[in-house]
Amino acid sequence: MIILQAAFSGILVGGLYALMAIGLSLTWGMLKVINLAHFGMILLSAYLTYAIATGLGIDPLLTIVATAPVMFVLAAALQWAFQRFRVSEFNSLLISFGVLIMLVQTISNVWTADFRRLGSDVNPYSSGALSIGPLAFPMPTLLAFVTALALVIALELALERTFAGRAVRAFSEDPPIAAAFGIDHRRIGILLAGVAGVTAALAGMLFAIGGSMTPSTALEWVGLVFAVVILGGIGNVAGTLLAGALVGIVTGLVTVLWSPSAAPLVVFSIVVLALLFRPRGLIPRGGTT
Amino acid sequence: MARRTLLALAVAFAVLAAVPWIREPLGVPVFYLAFGALVFFWVAQATSWNLLSGYTGYFSFGQGAFFGVGVYTSAVLSGRGGMDYFLTIPLAGIVAALLGLAVGGVAFRLRSLRGEIFALLTLAVPFILASFARINTAIDGGQGIVLRIPEFPEFLGGFQDLAYLLSLGVAGLAVGIAYVAQHSRFGWALFAIRDAENVAEGLGVPTFGYKMLAIGLSAALAGMAGSVFALQIGFVTVEGTFNLTVPLFVIVMSVLGGRMHWLGPALGALIIVTLQDRLAAQGFEGYSLIILGAILVSLVLLAPEGLMARLRPRLLPVVAAAGAVYLALAVTGVWGAPLDWFAVALVAAAVVAFWPRRRTVAAARAAALGGIAPVEEVEDEDLTDTAAPEALPTPPAERAIGRPIIEAHDLTRHFGGIRALDGISLTIHEGEVVGLVGPNGSGKTTLVNLLSGALRPTSGDIRIDGRSVLGLPAHRLAHAGAARTYQIPRPFGSMTVRDNVAIAIMFGREAASLATARREARQHLELVGLVRHADALPGEINLHERQLLEIARAIATRPRVLLLDEALAGLNPAEIDNAAGVVRRVHESGIAIVLVEHVLRIVNQLATRVVVLDQGRLLAEGEPADVMRNADVVRAYLGRRAHA
Amino acid sequence: MHRPSFPSTILAILLAGVLVACGTQTTSPSTGETSGEESAAPSTGASGDAEPTGASEPTGDPIVVGSTLSLTGPLSATGVIHRIAGDLFVERLNEQGGLLGRPVEWVVLDDESDQASVATLYERLISQEEVDLIIGPYATPLIISAMAVAERHGYVMPQHTAVLAPLMTYECQFPAWSIGPEPQVFVPEQLYDALESLDEAPSSIAFVTNQSGSTDFVTHGQPDAEDRDAVTIAEERGLEVVADISYPPGNDDWSAIAAQVRDADPDFIMMNSLGVESVGLIEAMEQLDYQPPMMFSLFPAPGPLLGLGESGEGHLSVSTFEPNEPIIERMGDEVRDIVETFQAQAEGEGLPYTAFETQATGSWTAWEILVEGVEGAGDTADQQAICDHLHENGAETTFHGQLEFDPEVNNFWPSDQTLKQIQDGDWVVVWPEDQAAAELRGP
Repeated sequence: MIILQAAFSGILVGGLYALMAIGLSLTWGMLKVINLAHFGMILLSAYLTYAIATGLGIDPLLTIVATAPVMFVLAAALQWAFQRFRVSEFNSLLISFGVLIMLVQTISNVWTADFRRLGSDVNPYSSGALSIGPLAFPMPTLLAFVTALALVIALELALERTFAGRAVRAFSEDPPIAAAFGIDHRRIGILLAGVAGVTAALAGMLFAIGGSMTPSTALEWVGLVFAVVILGGIGNVAGTLLAGALVGIVTGLVTVLWSPSAAPLVVFSIVVLALLFRPRGLIPRGGTT
Repeated sequence: MARRTLLALAVAFAVLAAVPWIREPLGVPVFYLAFGALVFFWVAQATSWNLLSGYTGYFSFGQGAFFGVGVYTSAVLSGRGGMDYFLTIPLAGIVAALLGLAVGGVAFRLRSLRGEIFALLTLAVPFILASFARINTAIDGGQGIVLRIPEFPEFLGGFQDLAYLLSLGVAGLAVGIAYVAQHSRFGWALFAIRDAENVAEGLGVPTFGYKMLAIGLSAALAGMAGSVFALQIGFVTVEGTFNLTVPLFVIVMSVLGGRMHWLGPALGALIIVTLQDRLAAQGFEGYSLIILGAILVSLVLLAPEGLMARLRPRLLPVVAAAGAVYLALAVTGVWGAPLDWFAVALVAAAVVAFWPRRRTVAAARAAALGGIAPVEEVEDEDLTDTAAPEALPTPPAERAIGRPIIEAHDLTRHFGGIRALDGISLTIHEGEVVGLVGPNGSGKTTLVNLLSGALRPTSGDIRIDGRSVLGLPAHRLAHAGAARTYQIPRPFGSMTVRDNVAIAIMFGREAASLATARREARQHLELVGLVRHADALPGEINLHERQLLEIARAIATRPRVLLLDEALAGLNPAEIDNAAGVVRRVHESGIAIVLVEHVLRIVNQLATRVVVLDQGRLLAEGEPADVMRNADVVRAYLGRRAHA
Repeated sequence: MHRPSFPSTILAILLAGVLVACGTQTTSPSTGETSGEESAAPSTGASGDAEPTGASEPTGDPIVVGSTLSLTGPLSATGVIHRIAGDLFVERLNEQGGLLGRPVEWVVLDDESDQASVATLYERLISQEEVDLIIGPYATPLIISAMAVAERHGYVMPQHTAVLAPLMTYECQFPAWSIGPEPQVFVPEQLYDALESLDEAPSSIAFVTNQSGSTDFVTHGQPDAEDRDAVTIAEERGLEVVADISYPPGNDDWSAIAAQVRDADPDFIMMNSLGVESVGLIEAMEQLDYQPPMMFSLFPAPGPLLGLGESGEGHLSVSTFEPNEPIIERMGDEVRDIVETFQAQAEGEGLPYTAFETQATGSWTAWEILVEGVEGAGDTADQQAICDHLHENGAETTFHGQLEFDPEVNNFWPSDQTLKQIQDGDWVVVWPEDQAAAELRGP
C-alpha cells in the first residue's frame, strides 16, 4: 500500500515538474531558444501569487488573472529581443541565464531571502486531499497534475488544429518552406513564447500553493526540470507530462524503498542512459517521425 | 613572438610568486594574498573549463563535478585519511581526470553527439555525484570534513602565503597549458573540431583522441584547483561543493574574457572577482548578481567574442583609460583604496574596449581569428594565380587505369526502416574518374559517407588496398587515402583559407609542423586557383571559391581517391567550367576521382566510367556514352527529373 | 615587421597594475584602514552621540570589532536577527561607557551565505581592516571556516550558534550556545525524559533527518564511532524505532516521506531538521489525512511553524531562551528591556517573526563573552591574554549566568538548553520543569 501511495503521490508531483517543463520544452523545441529565464518567471509568479493572495486575502488560484498577463508580456518581450538580435540557440542559454540571475536577485531584494509560504488562512488547499479508499491525493499536487494534463491536451490540440499551431510546427521543422508559405515566424514565435510564459505563471502559482519558496529555489529546479524535458523529448508536450510522471514515480519509489537521498542518483542516471540511447526522448513522438 | 610571450608569462609568474617575500617591505597587507588566491582559483577554473569548452565548442556543465571531485579527494584523503595534504593535490587531479575521461569516453563515443546533449550529460554528473556522496556516508562521515593546515616549510611564511602560492601554482599551470595547447597541433585540432568536427575527422584529425585529451586535462586542472580550494575553506560539505556556482561562473568569466584566447578566461576571472569583491565591500552586494547578469546579457548580444578579441585592435586606448583612471584616483586620493581604484580602472578599460564602433574589416577579422596565431612570415612572391583556367571542352583525360584502390562489396545501409543503400558493389581503380549519378534520394551521398568512413554500413565490406577498413574512424580512412568534399562547403570558419588547407597537411598521413604545412598549402591553393585569397577568411570568399577550398583541403591530405560530393552545385556556367578544369588538374596529378554530379554535361566530359544509382540500387554501370543511352537510366533518371 | 607580442603586453600591464597597487600601499599606509571604515556597513553603535546613562561617555579611539553575517542569500533570514541583536548590544554597551572606556564600533561584512567567501572576508577583516576583535558569523559551516582564519591569526572568536562540539577544535573559540560536549546525547536524553513524564508516554518513535552536519550528528552521532546517539538511546530506553529516514538538504518533496511515516505510524516523530522542512512534512502528512500524535523539530525556523495554526499545536523544539512572561519575570528588568527593544527594532525592519529567542540569545551571549574577556585582559592587543582570561575565569552572561570554558571539551559549557512547545499559538518553554513557563502537553 505504501508503495502504491508513494507511486501515486509521485505521479502528482511529477505533474508539477511537467508544468514547469512544458514552457521550456516548447520554446526549445519550436523556437530553438533554451530559456533559463523560464525558471525566474516561475519563481516570480510564485512570489506574485504569494504577495497578491496575502495582500488582498484572496484565493491564490485567482491570482492567475494577474500573473498570466504579466508573464505573457515578459516572455514575449524576451522572445522579441532574441529575434531582434538573431540570438543563436546557445547564446540564448547564456543570455537567459543572465536574465535569470537578475530576476533572482531582484526577488531577493524585494521579498528578502527569507522563506515565504502562503499562510493557511489564505490557502485552503495546503492541507486538503482527495481520498479514494486508502489512497490520498494531496490537493496542491493534484491541482498541478490536472492543470498539466489540461494544458497538454489544449496545447496538443492547438498545435494540431489551429493555424498558428500548424504554422509553429511547420516552422520548427522547415523554416524556409514555412516562410515560403507566408508564415510570419516572428509573430508566431512571440506568441508561442508568450504562451510558454503563461505556463510559467501557472507553474509558479501551483508551486506557491504547495511549497515554501526562497529566491534560490529557482536554481534547485534546474536539474530536475531539465531531466523532464530531455526524457520527454525536446519540444514534445505530451512527452513532457509522461516524463514528469516517470520522474515523480521513480523519486517516490526510490524514497520509500531506498532513501530520499538516493532519488537524484537514480533519476539522473536514467537521464544519462536516456541521453545515450534515446537522445530524442523516451517517448517516441506520435506521427511526425 | 611565441618566445616573447612565453618569457612574459614566466616573468609574470615569477613576479607574482615573489609577492609573499616582498610584501612586507612593500607594505602589502595579507589580505591581498587572500584576494589573490581567490582570483587564481577562478583563473584556474575558468581556464580549465575553456580548454575543453572554449577550444572545442563542447559546452560543459561538468566543471562543478570535476572541481567537486578534487575537493573531496583532498578532503577525504587528508582530512579523514590522514594522508599528507600535499600528496593529495596531484591525486585530486588524477581522480578528476579519470572522471573526465569516463564522461568523455561515454559521451564522445556517441556518433550522433550534439552539443546540447553533451551539455546536458555533464549537467547530470554533479547531481549524481552529490547523491552518491550522500548515500555513502562512509565517504565524508555524513557531517562534512575538516581539513587541518598541513606542516609546511617555514621559509614560505604564513598560511596565507602558502595558500596564495598553491593557488598561483595551479593557475599558472592552467594558463601555461592553455597557452601551449593553443600554439600546438593540439590546439589546432581542437579549433578544427569547434569549427567543423566531421570535416576535421575526414581530413585526418583524430578527433576522439584530442577531445579525450582536452577533457582529461581540463578535469585534472579543475580537480587540482578544487584541492587547493578545499584547504582554503577548511571545511567541506556536499551541499557546499556540488552546486551550480562553479559551472555557471566559469561560463560568465570565459564569455567576458573571450573563449578563443588562452588568456581570455583569466582576464574574465580577474575582472569578475575584483568587481564582486569591491561591490560587496561598498555595500552593493544586493546588486552584484544584477550587475553580473546585465554584463552577461549585453556582452553576448553586443560582443560575443569577448574582451581579448576587442583588446587587440585598441590596446593603447584601453590601457591609457585604465592607467588614467587609476592614477587620477590614486593622486587625488578622494576615494577608496588601491583595490577600489584597480576595480574602477578595470571597468574603465572594459568600457573602452567594448565601446561600440563601426566594425572595420580588421576588427571583424580579429574577432573571428580570436587568438589563433597569425601567419608570421609567408613568402608570397606573387599573388597572381599561375594556372590560368584552361579552355574547354577537351576530351576526357587519358590515363592508364591501374590497380583497384577502393573495393566496396555488397554495401547496405538502413536509416530506421528505409534502405538508403541496398547491396551496392563498386570498385575504384587508379587513374579513374567515376561519375556517380542518380536522382535525388538515390543514395549517392550515403555512398560517399560510407566510402569516407563518416557513416558505417549496416552490412557489407569496404577495402582499401585489399585491407578491410570497416569500423575504422574516418581519420584513419583519410590516412589510408580516401578524401571527400561536402556538397555545402564546410570550411573552418575561424581560420584563413591557407590554414584551412594547412590543417589537412598537419594531420595528414605524415604529421607536419604548422610552418611546413603553411608552406606546402600554397601548392594546393595554386592548383585550385585560390592563392590570392590565401589570407582571407572563408566568410569573405564566394560560394564557388569555398567549393574550390573544399577541393584544395581534400587534396592536401594527399588522397588516392577523392570523393567530390556535388562540388559544382549552385554555380553559374562559367564557374562550372572553371571547376571542371580544376577537377581535371586534380585527376592529372594522379588522384582517382568519384564525381557525384547532377550536371550530366560535366560527367560526360570528365568521367571515364559512370555508375547510376536508383533507390539505393545500382541501376547501370559503364562507359558514359553507353550508360546514357540505357533505357532504364533514361526512364529512372531523366523521366523523374522531367516531372520535377 | 615589428609587432609587440600582444599577450605579453597585456601581462605586463596587469603586472604593472599589481605593482602599482602595492607601491601605493607603501606611500599611504593608512589607506586600508580608512577604506575599511567606509566600506563596511556602519553600525548604529558607531554613533558617538549616545546619551550617557549614568556611566561616563566612552572616549578615545574606537575599538573595532569585525565579523561577517549572511545579510543576503539563503541564510539571511537568520543572519538579520544576529545583525539586529548585535547592533542593539553595541548600542547599549556604548551607552554604558563602552569597552575599557573606549567606544566600540562593529564592522559587518556580508558573506552572502557563501561558505567559500567567509575565509577571505575574515582574512580581510584581520589583515586589511586591522580590526581589534572578531566575533563569529552565522551557521555552522561558515563558523568553522571563520574559525580556521581566527586560529591562524590567534584571534579570540566567540561564536553564536555552532553546537557541533567535536568539530570546534580551536581553543580560543567560545560557544555562546552549548548543547554540551555531546549534543547527540543531551538532546535525546532530555527529550525522552520529557516524553516519559507524560501520562501516555510514547512507545514508538520515527526519525526523519536532514543529512547536514549538525542535524545528522544528533540522530546518528559521530561517524565511525560506536557512541550513543538519538537512535541508540531510544532503543536503550525501550522506544521502538519504526523508521529512520534521511533526506538531502534542500529537499522539497515530502509526499513519499510522509507516506512512509504514516505507514510506520509512530507515537512520536523526532525530526532533526532545519528551516521550514518540518512545515513541509507536516503539510504533506496532513494531505495524506494523517496527523502524528506528537512531533519534535531540532532547528526549525520558529515563525512558519506557528503559521500552521491548529496543526502546529503541541510541536516541540529546543530553546535557550523564550520571551515567556514567567521567565522574563524571573530574569528581571534588564532582560525585559532587551526583549522589548529587540522586538521594536525587528518590527521596524519588517521581520516576519520578531521574538527575541534562541538565535538572538546566542548573539547576545557571544558579545558578552567577548566583552568579559577584553575587560578581564584589560587590553585588546593581546589576544592570548583574552583567551587565557576566559579559560581561567569564564564569563558572566545575562541569559546563561556564569559560564566556564574547558578546552578539554572544546569550551562547550554544561548546557542549560530547554524544550519549548507550541501552546495556544506561541512557543513556550515546557522542560525541564524548574525552568518551564508552562506544563508539557501530551498528544
